[in-house]
Amino acid sequence: MTALATLAASAWLALPAGTALASEIGISVVLDGFYTSGESALSERGTGFGLGHTELSLHAPVDDLFTGRLTTVLESHGGATELELEEAFLDTVALPFGLGVRAGRFLSQVGYLNARHTHADSFAERPAVYRALLGTHYFDDGARLDALLATPFFWRIGVEAFEGASLAGGEEDDDVGVVTLKSTWGGDLSASSSWQAGVSYLRHRLDVTAEAEPDKTARTDGAGGAPGDEHGHAHSHDAAYSGENLYVLDAIWKWAPRGNARARQLAVSGEYLYVDELGENAAEGDAHEGWYAAAVYRFGPQWSAGVRHGEVDLRQAHGDHFHGQSLRETDLMLTWARSHFSQLRLQVSLQDADGLTDANDTLTLQYVMTLGAHGAHAF
Amino acid sequence: MPSSHRPRAGHRALLLCALACPGIGIGSAHAALNVLACEPEWRALAEALGSEHVRARSATNAFQDPHHIEARPSLIVKARDADIVFCTGAELEVGWLPLLLEKSGNRRIQVGQPGHFLAASEVERLEVPVSADRSQGDVHADGNPHVHLDPHRLLKIAAAFSERLQAIDPEHTEHYRRRLDAFSSEWVAAIDAWEAKAEPLRGTRAIVHHRNWSYLLDWLQVDVAGDLEPRPGIPPTSGHLADLLQDTRERPSDIILVANYQDPKGARWLAERSDIPLLELPFTVGGSEDADNLRGLYDAILSILLDGA
Repeated sequence: MTALATLAASAWLALPAGTALASEIGISVVLDGFYTSGESALSERGTGFGLGHTELSLHAPVDDLFTGRLTTVLESHGGATELELEEAFLDTVALPFGLGVRAGRFLSQVGYLNARHTHADSFAERPAVYRALLGTHYFDDGARLDALLATPFFWRIGVEAFEGASLAGGEEDDDVGVVTLKSTWGGDLSASSSWQAGVSYLRHRLDVTAEAEPDKTARTDGAGGAPGDEHGHAHSHDAAYSGENLYVLDAIWKWAPRGNARARQLAVSGEYLYVDELGENAAEGDAHEGWYAAAVYRFGPQWSAGVRHGEVDLRQAHGDHFHGQSLRETDLMLTWARSHFSQLRLQVSLQDADGLTDANDTLTLQYVMTLGAHGAHAF
Repeated sequence: MPSSHRPRAGHRALLLCALACPGIGIGSAHAALNVLACEPEWRALAEALGSEHVRARSATNAFQDPHHIEARPSLIVKARDADIVFCTGAELEVGWLPLLLEKSGNRRIQVGQPGHFLAASEVERLEVPVSADRSQGDVHADGNPHVHLDPHRLLKIAAAFSERLQAIDPEHTEHYRRRLDAFSSEWVAAIDAWEAKAEPLRGTRAIVHHRNWSYLLDWLQVDVAGDLEPRPGIPPTSGHLADLLQDTRERPSDIILVANYQDPKGARWLAERSDIPLLELPFTVGGSEDADNLRGLYDAILSILLDGA
């Protein structure tokens, strides 16, 4: 145990019995590494060996009103290693009327996958539509207010305001570059199956001057560059394609015999993303759109298999006009988990593209190992 | 007993919400304390100790592995409405209870609040590791959490939970005391009967699937001869099963125990080759037809053990 955790543990000793769940700072490390047989379109993973989302996360109650989390991520691409602060936020604990506030840097609530940590995913990479439109996962500096409504079924609504520069074409001098709205519903259909569905909207104030020049499709600090360009550009989490309005529909349904997901579980999920108002040079009807649908079946305590298909249609800015690009991608995966804390994954990805380079069929081997604090089982 | 309409701390928020958010009042029993049990055994105990003054629900059923639950939307809603959560603790629910508390937006049930009650914290635990890392499997640093199958510990938990009910709902203190007295005297008599009945089991040897029978076997003085899981939380492997089979040839065991929510494949393999009877037991209330309350659960488990051994 580290000195920090020891200190935290001793501070908790003063509390009455029954506080075991929060008796120390939760420290978790996720080791994520892969070998992939080739380049993929709209992917920054490259070929050969690499490290995925290798993260160190600390979380604990601050006091009886606040909790905090800090997550740093290390990623390695083609020999370069970068360190990024992915989460640094406070959460309020149980404000009246089901309200909650989160402030700092955090993953946006839009869609289903975006708010989840990538190591909880069932596939080696996020679907193509996420890689193109959200930079695999959109996080930013800002604040969120959400409310669990007092309805007989599950209904949560939330609003977020972000700085916004980390989405492509964001105006960096704006105080609030991105605003999002989200509504989520969910419930049980029977003792064996449950569902959740959501609608999200993201409003993005575009930096129109940056959008008009082909070399500035992403951030103007040189970190960007659209996928499909020549290799050797610096890595960036920025979404490569953007517009003023992003709409997301998401739905997931899970089934397990009598609700016992230990040995058997089927999860079917899908999302649809649509982006319009692509900038001042965009013609009427110019839009990015894409979707994916996935089915993952756990057929033993240690085994799961899944299939995912996704498509994305994009408009890439080239001076005063747009080029159409599209990608169709099918992934097949098989995962073995020795325990609750380790996963080994074999994935085959088949790509078919128009107007994008590096569309290949690839084989990926991936490991995801979790050390330390027990992760949360989110739905 | 007629229910009272006087407001109580736990209900003030509900009343406020009834004004602020239309729809909440519908269907909620006006005076019953809302108990969310993490497992069915605690729902049964809460009902026995509170009767008409509690409305108890369970987050899980008898066929779910309580380690492997997801904080799904319907559970978040149940946590939102709870006046008290009644869980096992000792890290059994570590994968989902913290998330449920966080998402519930419900102050009453947070860690350290009176509405947060953990059964395992009230009793001494078995198998507390001196040091634990995960190479030993999914070992709980606070010891074995499956405390509900020792009736003596259950009695202590009942007394502590009743005290908590009295603290949260002082208006009905007298009622809770009477319920506890009634429950305790019936339970003590039942323990005497069970212990007399279980005499033939003493000193027998059992192979288990996961350490969830430790408290039961410790109480009945049945020896644990082996575990089908090579490490806690890791399913039986063929190599480990072969070792167990070898062990039983050298020193025979009397029974193999699995909970009826567990995958029986490994246990069946061993039972077929070793001729040791395999007993599939209900693990908690609702796990079989007879196990419809706590006494029924103990009766059902004991009669299966006595028939099999």
